[in-house]
Amino acid sequence: MGKTRRLLVGVSAAVLAFAPLFVANARGIHYGAVTDPALLSCDQQYWRGQIEAAEACYTDVLNSNTDAAIRAEAAWALGDLKLANQLFQRAMTVSPTDAAAKVRWGDLFAASHQNAEAMDIYREVLAEESANAFALLGAARVLVDRFEDAANSYLQPLIEGAAYNDGALVGAWLLVAQVALENNRYDEAEDALNQAESIIEHNEWPLLEVYALRAAADLLNNVDGGKWTELALANNPHYGGIYATPAHFYVITRRYRDAIDLYQKAVDIEPDLAAAHEELGINLLRDNQMTRARKHLEIAYAEDPFSPKAVNSLRLMDSYSDFRLIDDRPEAPGAVPITLRLHEDEAAAIAPYAIELTRNSMAVFTERYGFALREPVIIEMYPDHEDFAVRTAGMPGLGILGATFGYVIAMDSPSGRPAHQFQWGTTLWHEMAHVFTLEASDHLVPRWYSEGISVFEEWRSGPNPGIRIPMSVYNAMQDDRFLPIADLDEGFLRPTYEEQVIVSYMQAGLVCDFIDRHYGEDALRKVLFAFREGLKTVAAIESVLSITTAEFDKDFATFVQTEHGAVLEQLEDWHHTQTEISSKMAAEDWSEIVELARRLIAIIPQYVEADSPYLALARAQRELGEQAAALESLDTFWREGGYDPASLKRLGQWLVDADRKATAIKVLQSINLVDPLDQELHGELGDLLLDSGQAENALREFEIALALEPHDMATAWYRLAQAQHELGNIEMSQGYLLQALDVAPNFRPAQRLLLKLADQHSIRN
Amino acid sequence: MNRRNISLALLLLAPSLVFAELHVVIVEGLGGDQAYAEQFSAQVDAIEVASATLTADDNIKVFRTDTASRDAILSHFTTLESRLSANDQVSVFLIGHGSYDDVEYKFNIPGPDLTGEDIAASLDALASTSQLLVNTSSASGAIVDLLQNDNRILVLATRSGVERHATRFGSYFADALSNSTADTDKNKRISAAEAFSFAARQVDDYYEGNGQLATEHPRIEGERTARMTLARLDASRPAIIDVALAELITERDALNSDIDALRLARDDMALQDYQAQLLEKMLQLARLEDAIEAREGNTNGQD
Repeated sequence: MGKTRRLLVGVSAAVLAFAPLFVANARGIHYGAVTDPALLSCDQQYWRGQIEAAEACYTDVLNSNTDAAIRAEAAWALGDLKLANQLFQRAMTVSPTDAAAKVRWGDLFAASHQNAEAMDIYREVLAEESANAFALLGAARVLVDRFEDAANSYLQPLIEGAAYNDGALVGAWLLVAQVALENNRYDEAEDALNQAESIIEHNEWPLLEVYALRAAADLLNNVDGGKWTELALANNPHYGGIYATPAHFYVITRRYRDAIDLYQKAVDIEPDLAAAHEELGINLLRDNQMTRARKHLEIAYAEDPFSPKAVNSLRLMDSYSDFRLIDDRPEAPGAVPITLRLHEDEAAAIAPYAIELTRNSMAVFTERYGFALREPVIIEMYPDHEDFAVRTAGMPGLGILGATFGYVIAMDSPSGRPAHQFQWGTTLWHEMAHVFTLEASDHLVPRWYSEGISVFEEWRSGPNPGIRIPMSVYNAMQDDRFLPIADLDEGFLRPTYEEQVIVSYMQAGLVCDFIDRHYGEDALRKVLFAFREGLKTVAAIESVLSITTAEFDKDFATFVQTEHGAVLEQLEDWHHTQTEISSKMAAEDWSEIVELARRLIAIIPQYVEADSPYLALARAQRELGEQAAALESLDTFWREGGYDPASLKRLGQWLVDADRKATAIKVLQSINLVDPLDQELHGELGDLLLDSGQAENALREFEIALALEPHDMATAWYRLAQAQHELGNIEMSQGYLLQALDVAPNFRPAQRLLLKLADQHSIRN
Repeated sequence: MNRRNISLALLLLAPSLVFAELHVVIVEGLGGDQAYAEQFSAQVDAIEVASATLTADDNIKVFRTDTASRDAILSHFTTLESRLSANDQVSVFLIGHGSYDDVEYKFNIPGPDLTGEDIAASLDALASTSQLLVNTSSASGAIVDLLQNDNRILVLATRSGVERHATRFGSYFADALSNSTADTDKNKRISAAEAFSFAARQVDDYYEGNGQLATEHPRIEGERTARMTLARLDASRPAIIDVALAELITERDALNSDIDALRLARDDMALQDYQAQLLEKMLQLARLEDAIEAREGNTNGQD
């Protein structure tokens, strides 16, 4: 699939998370970082939307004999970033101690998406001048746009006055406002914007970015932001940022269609606004509008060839030629069509299960949430995780396994991850729940609640039901790391420690479990619809549950303690015993392992991760010759939700050996929702199904096995022949037999079946 | 089962290769560490078991690591020189690590290593016109130019001496010798081509499944690779073949040849015509096989 094509200009996939907010132009409003009068004169024209005049002005500056750093600014303003870079380099050679020019050079790197180089420059400047305000601002901007908490260490000196400069302070307040809006802290955003506004007015700089953020705040509160748009466009009729800035917030709150409308308006008035074209293209792709998406991505690439997002998105679209579209369009009235976009090599193996699972989820969620889907559902599965990453670029803390954009789901394919780490069926179920919570709430549901419902539904109704908490989350619970419900979104958006995103997922799931159990299923629905009415978390909780969020947090903490307190109390013992088991494994002390494993199982019976004590117990019992006990241990592992394919295949074989074929079938079927690409498994499962009289299901397994191009084609054809024979399709059976015998003329079972067909059905000989 | 009856059975049951006797040499090289030593030992076991389905135990010489000295191995080949005729078949399996310094290939054994020249000279000295060399070691591809000739099939774990990492090919190859999945033509025999195809695919799947660049690219060279049998999956053949059974077997073999000819002509025929003829011949073949089984007194209907 060409993994190397995703790496460009030294930018790694991780930096694809960069989603620039200030998209006015690559150079942006510098708020006094540049002081040259001639350049400022050009800037003033540009900021007022007098584009032609400004360009003529910049050209004059570029062609003048002025300092290289000034000419670099002019080149940058004219869009010639390479020339700008060369001129900055020259400036540094002539005046290596010119910190202001050096910081601007760093800003150039940041504007051309080379954040590592930008940060290096800012750090170099700060090493010499720790209070260099614009260097602090530059670093803060890079980190804020990556949703990294480390930005605070650069912002604080600016806000608190340790490093003072009007312009840098404006930039800092604007960043504070941005972050506050991203975290739904509207009062804080308002304060920050007021601070910025007063400094800007004092210095007679343009208020454009303040207007843009105010417009964003209004729209996020469902207030018409028209006043600010009018003001901005009166100042500069070509200021696309007045639309693109609010659009950014729509994107991170998953209101993709609203974002599309605004980005379109942005490029309508500022046609060379590359970042807006790029975001428009990416979000059109999320809405399955392929043609429009490609058009805007190509414009973005032409305008800004430095941005990896546009080119990666275009290359992803090119790779769709390796994918197949599979439609499921039932004839029943009101049935929602499903379209799968699956890689050609995997489509046949995944499609049957994906369609069945998606239809089941629709039935469950339609009834539970009282909402019927209105549009076709598109599900994309990517064997290459980097392709999935391209789909989710710019989305902070989004699912690492799957993402939902409304009616479009993108997720890793089963082949995209190690099988023992990833249950694709459960992930699809999770994402389908997102389709419902997003659409039922007109995309107004906050991140935490949508994730909470999805996790809760995995536990309650998914293909592998049961509440299972990862050990890292138990550790976090023990350290009292759960967030107040009013702040839970931050755990997803701006995690402050490595595990915080997964901890937030689990917390959200437990919150929904708590609401369901203490307030009823209806309450879950009502909270969802409260969000649709425009209520935020605090108001929704108070209005539906008649309880303040502080009280809710207290009750929830009690619930967690009741449900999981016993585990938390024994967590240290659990860890200690788990370590002991590892050392006993190395020593092959099987009797001791049996005892230790049982102790762990008694503490957390539902712990079925890769290091589950059930697996150690089963192995030890087998080594001790206690096969029946080993089978029961592995069986319990499966029933508790264990999904490691190698272990389940072993269990399947043991069950067959013990003549418990009905259970063996269920075990092997469950593996298909983890690893559907194991063609041997499909063959074996098909044999069992055929043997138990389930010819139709056997046929499906055999068809998938054949599609996976098995090494033993003769057996694959023969199996199909057997299934068709059982179903009474004699001609088809004969056809498959001939294919088998064509490959392997001496294949006795196929020969015997052919004779049987001939004898039973008077086939000509 | 004595040698005479084995010879007769093989003569009648494997008409594709008419040879007098099969001699097998298996060398287990140095493992270097316990994990590799165990792997190599298991592979040698599997090859020995497979070889025993084709020839008498006396014709199989296994050099385990502790006995695999250069002198002992070369001495055995010298012995074979005097025993083998042109019609005899010899199969040599080198299981272990190899090295190549851009000049010389060496198969690692205790004491002085076996060089590519040693292997070539030993095999060249044998009269047998039906030879097989399987070398599963790293850098084994380095010996292809030394050993390639019209009488010899080479199965090598790497495409050249440059591929110097330990290989996975050997384990998959050994597994193929007792694996019905590898028997793609379902004739209850594993040919060199089948074993190679099975193992090569497993190698590909391993690297692709683990997202790694492959450090080994196995290769097979030589003619008649599909007709060189390395193992039989069903050794329960009768010790005695009477005249009636022999006639049935001859008739079946002739029919198999007809079928082969039909399959070769497939591209020149209309599909329906081909399928009709194939059906007819397959039904005949199936009835013949039933008759053969009945004659052999084999009432076990399972395969």
